[in-house]
Amino acid sequence: MSATLESEVRTRRGVTTSLHRTELVLAAVAVLGFTALAVTTQGNILQAGTLRAVLQFLAVPIVIGLAQMVVLAVGQMNLSVGVLTGLCAMVSASLMSDTGLPPWLAIPAGLAVGALVGLANGVLVVLTRINGFIVTLATMSVVSGLRYGINGTGTYQDYSPGLVALGRADVLGLPVVFLAAIATAVAVWVFFARSVAGRMLLASGGNPFAARLSGISNDRSLVVAHTLSGLLAGVAGVLVVALAGSVNASVGDDLLLPSFAAPIIGGVALTGGVVSVLGTCLAAFIVRLVDVAQAQYGINPRWVDLVVGAVVLGAVLVSQRRGRGSS
Amino acid sequence: MKETREVDVQAETEPRKETEVDASDTRRRVRRRGVEEPPPGASPTPRLPWWANPRVGLVVVIAALVALFSSARPAFLDVDLTLVPLQRDISVFVVVGLAQLAVLSLGHMNLAVGRMAALSAFAAGLAYDRFDAPLVVGLVVALVVGAAIGAVAGAIITATGVNSFVVTLALDFGLLGVVALLYDRFAGGVAFSTRPPGMDELRSDTFFDYCIGPVCGPPVPLLLPFALVALVLVGLFFGRSRNGREVLMTGASLRAARLSGIPVGRRVVTAHALSGLLAGLAGFMLAMTNGAFSASIGDSFLLPSFLAPVLGGTLLAGGAVSALGTALGATLTSVIQKGLNLLQFEADALQIFIGVVLLVALSLDRVRQVLAERRGVRA
Repeated sequence: MSATLESEVRTRRGVTTSLHRTELVLAAVAVLGFTALAVTTQGNILQAGTLRAVLQFLAVPIVIGLAQMVVLAVGQMNLSVGVLTGLCAMVSASLMSDTGLPPWLAIPAGLAVGALVGLANGVLVVLTRINGFIVTLATMSVVSGLRYGINGTGTYQDYSPGLVALGRADVLGLPVVFLAAIATAVAVWVFFARSVAGRMLLASGGNPFAARLSGISNDRSLVVAHTLSGLLAGVAGVLVVALAGSVNASVGDDLLLPSFAAPIIGGVALTGGVVSVLGTCLAAFIVRLVDVAQAQYGINPRWVDLVVGAVVLGAVLVSQRRGRGSS
Repeated sequence: MKETREVDVQAETEPRKETEVDASDTRRRVRRRGVEEPPPGASPTPRLPWWANPRVGLVVVIAALVALFSSARPAFLDVDLTLVPLQRDISVFVVVGLAQLAVLSLGHMNLAVGRMAALSAFAAGLAYDRFDAPLVVGLVVALVVGAAIGAVAGAIITATGVNSFVVTLALDFGLLGVVALLYDRFAGGVAFSTRPPGMDELRSDTFFDYCIGPVCGPPVPLLLPFALVALVLVGLFFGRSRNGREVLMTGASLRAARLSGIPVGRRVVTAHALSGLLAGLAGFMLAMTNGAFSASIGDSFLLPSFLAPVLGGTLLAGGAVSALGTALGATLTSVIQKGLNLLQFEADALQIFIGVVLLVALSLDRVRQVLAERRGVRA
């Protein structure tokens, strides 16, 4: 028994060091990629306008990646994360346009919708004991329908000039939406690193049996993780509203696969128990760099999907190899 | 590192599994004493009473929905307007569901099922467009390409030990780009315009159009036999063939299968190749239904591919499959879709309805199972 405990402790340490190394490698790749882009485009990417666009459109991928990461932490998946972002964006835009609510009420309402749907996901998973993949597959269908139910295929625009101006503003040369995404990431990091609830989540994800023996309610962890995931999807939705200036029901259609790509490249295990906020953010940045490179070089945008696929697989292979080598 | 993890997971799941086995054992003993002997062949899973079988529930629900829809809109029973297109939809989605079923048997997933269909359909389209291939050759090309790309996925999973979810996710990204690039390069756009001889017949004819003397066939589209053959072959593969049983054993317990001398790696490749082959068939059939080989084939396959097997009672955990259940699951979703269409529901209401049906069906399943287990234990 003590031998297995010891090996368990060693494994934990191995996982942590391998995660740190993954983050280091990702940071190196990010810096190298950015430098290479800057050099080959004759510094075009360093100009204020380009740089701002790069960071502005990094905000949503970071938050959506975190939304997926939170449920991966307990060994679950959330397939509804993309369409939920769309629903939250539509709800807050509709409240501002149709109901005339001020942004400071519409934004919390959008966040609340996200958290509520997440809560529903979590409660369904716990009550029915159906696999979270299937539950969120079903709620994905439902949420997608609700998203179109708000305004059909119509578009909301001119809902709040003030909010959109804020969404496109800069503070100290950095876009506000990007800073909001970073603040969200820091909050998620604090949650997992410092708060009791966050540690319990990781314990449930890493070894549910041991967690139960230590008096942790795995059911509660599942509900908390899904609620938090929904809330983060809501944050992503609000960021879209603030940044885009016009939203329609197709928001979120192309977010599901990227939501998995960021945490997986970032070294988060699908089995649960391991998270990496920094890795997820760096991975989102690298994927964004691929996008930027496509735009800068005028490459067929279809190559982006191909490259992202290769990066996902390559990143997992590298971390797997290293994990095997270190243990 | 991986080994310890596996042990952990098993330590966690084992207690629950043990109680389940206990319960079913008691039940079997009870039955053998002759308290309640079910008629032979009434249910494929003899461990649970017949009313706990999800297939029976599906048949009841489908019958009820058909009755409801046809009483609300008599047009639901119109042969040309509803029944023939409905059968065409069902045929395609049965094959899509079987493609997912093939890897669910391992406890794996194939997120690239739609894109594999798209690549296969592209290959068939290319064969027709560039080489004037006859209809059958295109079908064979689609099947071979699908099986090959599936085998590649399986080989990557086996060689690297990476989760099937991640591998097929990456493959989906990759193929999304590849398919679009290929259509750009070879079709000069998003679709092939060539139609091989026989395609129009396969698309729009039913057996009713073919008569021997005064006797004509039933109003069944020519595509339906493709799905039937696939269904029967997949059922036989998992139920009767040695390879199929070995795939299921691998899905039930990787370690036990390896210790019993099953070539686990090769079975993983087999299952994924089968999944790719069926995805290729689905892509070909959808291209026939649509009347064009286009890059958008397979875009809408992912959700139905999981719906059909899961509604039919196949678990994500692996080790057990139901081909018949998959067919019923595909039928249910297609019937709901057609019926709500006729009742002039919007597309968004339809999606909500399908999601709710999935949740309710699975929850009822759970309730039934718990009830059945309790009854078994008490008796």
